[in-house]
Amino acid sequence: MSLVLDHLVKRYGDVLAVDDVSLEIAHGEFFTLLGPSGCGKTSTLRLIAGFERLDGGAITLDGDDIARRPPHKRPVNTVFQSYALFPHMSVAENVAFGLKYKRVSKSEVARRVGEAMELVQLGHLAERRPGQLSGGQQQRVALARALVLEPPVLLLDEPLGALDARLRIDLQVELKRIQETLEITFVYVTHDQDEALTMSDRVAVMKGGKVEQCDEPRVLYEEPCTAFVANFLGSSNLIPATVSEGALRVGEFTLRADVDGRTGDALAMIRPERVRLEPHGTGGENRVPGMVEAVVYLGFHQDVRVRLASGALVRCDVPNDGEAVEHSSGDPVCVHLPANCLRVLEP
Amino acid sequence: MSRPRWLPVITWVYVAWSLLPVLIAIRFAFNDGRSRTSGQGFSLRWFWTDPTLSVRNDPTLAAALEHSLVLAGLAMLLAVPLGTALAIGLQRWRGRGSGVSNVLMLLPLVTPELVFAVGLFLLFTSAFGFIGLGTTAQVIGHVTFSISWVVLIVRGRLVMIGNDVEEAAADLGAPPWQVLKRVLLPLLGPAIAASLLTVFALSIDDFVVAQYMASGADTTTVPMRIYSSARAAPTPALNALATIMLVLSLAALALAWLVFRRRPESLSGLMR
Repeated sequence: MSLVLDHLVKRYGDVLAVDDVSLEIAHGEFFTLLGPSGCGKTSTLRLIAGFERLDGGAITLDGDDIARRPPHKRPVNTVFQSYALFPHMSVAENVAFGLKYKRVSKSEVARRVGEAMELVQLGHLAERRPGQLSGGQQQRVALARALVLEPPVLLLDEPLGALDARLRIDLQVELKRIQETLEITFVYVTHDQDEALTMSDRVAVMKGGKVEQCDEPRVLYEEPCTAFVANFLGSSNLIPATVSEGALRVGEFTLRADVDGRTGDALAMIRPERVRLEPHGTGGENRVPGMVEAVVYLGFHQDVRVRLASGALVRCDVPNDGEAVEHSSGDPVCVHLPANCLRVLEP
Repeated sequence: MSRPRWLPVITWVYVAWSLLPVLIAIRFAFNDGRSRTSGQGFSLRWFWTDPTLSVRNDPTLAAALEHSLVLAGLAMLLAVPLGTALAIGLQRWRGRGSGVSNVLMLLPLVTPELVFAVGLFLLFTSAFGFIGLGTTAQVIGHVTFSISWVVLIVRGRLVMIGNDVEEAAADLGAPPWQVLKRVLLPLLGPAIAASLLTVFALSIDDFVVAQYMASGADTTTVPMRIYSSARAAPTPALNALATIMLVLSLAALALAWLVFRRRPESLSGLMR
């Protein structure tokens, strides 16, 4: 029971929008395609839905090849970023739209529409027109309209993109609840890393039509394989370095790190919250002196920027535990880059 | 900041300037006397009661009115479905040639009507001689130049509707003809109504094409009739005829307004 994308290729003229994407999505999985705009994530989703014709590869759902079928014959349903509700129909009519093609009795239609509306908590708005609803309510209608058909796979194209931040967090929780209740596969497209991290079972980070890395959110965050993934999920310090004789060198300092058999130019990656700020002159391994360049107060933490002797800038998150940071710009300090938090990436 | 006072003044002067000739023409339609230039009481003589010269009793006037309405009706029935289908087709056409076709489509809008009419005249008297001149040629002429307008209006609406709702309908399981019937056509309603009105107005108003395509007395339209008798023996019956045309056009507008007032959501839903 799974959705398999096998070497998908999609071209728009000379542009390769989807470049050899292969993914296997398990039944009941909350799977996210994450990437900046133009990375091919929406194109991949549209290939699965059938809105775009495949230039190469195959799409199978539980072993059935669905790639050659038109959209109305594919057992997947889509929730659009623009909602795409039918403005001339009431909310209930919108939700009932697809049931017409499912050969279900009238009483069954009424029951299922009612259930879907309850699921998204909109039972009281059945007779309204989409134009009379708020953005969040319209998004729920779009969700109910797709879920009422009980698809094995639901495709969601930045469904929360047009909503304000607070509503987005509420709906994230609700989407996850619905997905777990119904046990259906969600393929979710977003450019928002928080959305991807909070809801997904697995995330595929895309760039330039290719999948950069596909794994669980924790793995993506802790062990990014490329500088792009490290930067796209959360913030990270990417310090230019070289690897020689199994050791990582930043300027004149040698750091202990798992170099993973790499040699030559590399990037030393470390999350700002893992960097420790210590007084100037502190001894021990993986300690590099530097000069505080700026201290930015951000409420729940402070962002201290330290310029190393090699010229690299290291950002260091100091949690706001009630005590003010005693460093100010111009102070000499020492940054501690713990070996288990350092990753060596391709430049 | 207060708005300058002369702006409304200019507006009202313009409105009066553009409406005055029409109002004067209508005034003389109700003249009791034979003059079209001096007021001589009020009556329905030129509409109804005059035994030989009123619109009702002068067979040439009544025939012209009927022919104009028949032409406009046929033009609407043919141009609107054809133009709508063409607009939908052009909107989806992404490949090579779509750009050229878009420009070609708009060419009739800027072609001088006389050039267009002469072209059609040559076509129907030589290459397509089997069609010949007459009502058929007039209908084809009107349909040909109205289609561009229909395409223009319907495409504007299609752009506003966007691809999303069509894709959503297909995604929910609707086969293509159901997408058309349940989603696209209802949403195109206002554009189709606007197209019907526009084609009606274009056809009723047209003189050049109708004149060139005409084959005799039974293919005379109202504008042709007014033009020819304005030089011979003008009576206020011509004003009466023009008044009837004006009322018909206004009635069509009012009808459209009533239809859309009843279903405002079909518009408001797309105005977001």
